[in-house]
Amino acid sequence: MSLVIRMELKFDKRENLKERLEFIHFYAEWVKKTPNKVWSKQQADLINSFMLNAKNFKMSREKYLKMMRK
Amino acid sequence: MQCVIMKVHHENRKIVIKDKVITALDEFVLDFTRILKKYTDYVVVSGYVVILFGRARGTEDIDTIIKYMDKSAFLSFYQDLKENRYYFLNPEDADGLYEMLEEGLGIRAAREDTIIPNVELKFDKDDFDRYSIENRVTVFIDQSHVCVSPVELQIPYKLYLRSDKDIEDAVYLWDIFKETANIPLLKKFMKALHVTGDPYGIEV
Repeated sequence: MSLVIRMELKFDKRENLKERLEFIHFYAEWVKKTPNKVWSKQQADLINSFMLNAKNFKMSREKYLKMMRK
Repeated sequence: MQCVIMKVHHENRKIVIKDKVITALDEFVLDFTRILKKYTDYVVVSGYVVILFGRARGTEDIDTIIKYMDKSAFLSFYQDLKENRYYFLNPEDADGLYEMLEEGLGIRAAREDTIIPNVELKFDKDDFDRYSIENRVTVFIDQSHVCVSPVELQIPYKLYLRSDKDIEDAVYLWDIFKETANIPLLKKFMKALHVTGDPYGIEV
């Protein structure tokens, strides 16, 4: 017996991209008018936290390579 | 002619990003390419290029195109990496890794005991890759530098890849460089890759 799931998805992919691009425009303009020291400090805080978190990445290199090939 | 964008000095295939706070990812790329450049010409493409110019996003791999090097040069490079505490994620030995490169496959290197971030290396495979290497842009940050693909090719290439993330990257690069990019060259690459940026506000 097959199970039929009836759920409504209201996520609009095109609208989502449009909103993200609006943010990109806003962010790029901010970067252009903000001193390098300021925007890059904020960027460094974010990226350094990603890098710190990456140290906790538990996937084996075999699984990672397999995932990247897909 | 010298132009100023995002407080970046952009002149004749050289860009200086003064006072940039160096991220751990920048340190990784600068250290790896310091070793790589001893053995062959290279160019970093795709995600890291966008991050280097300020986009606030992460990336797990640094896509890097390298000019062909012979096996002996590769073996020396492999040894140098090992001495500097890097390893290849691929299980192949040095001979096998070189064969992979020759077959047009990518090989991935990371710092010992880590997987992310890693550098994916590939030999140049087509005219676009060769153009990128021959016309690479040297970006100076801190006391070091890294070579990246020209934005006039990166923007069309990102549009060609077409994922939402790639389109966002193309739009970001356009917003940052629209006043200083070589527009006829950008148009030429857009035509060559059969892409248009109009739907996303990249109107050239």
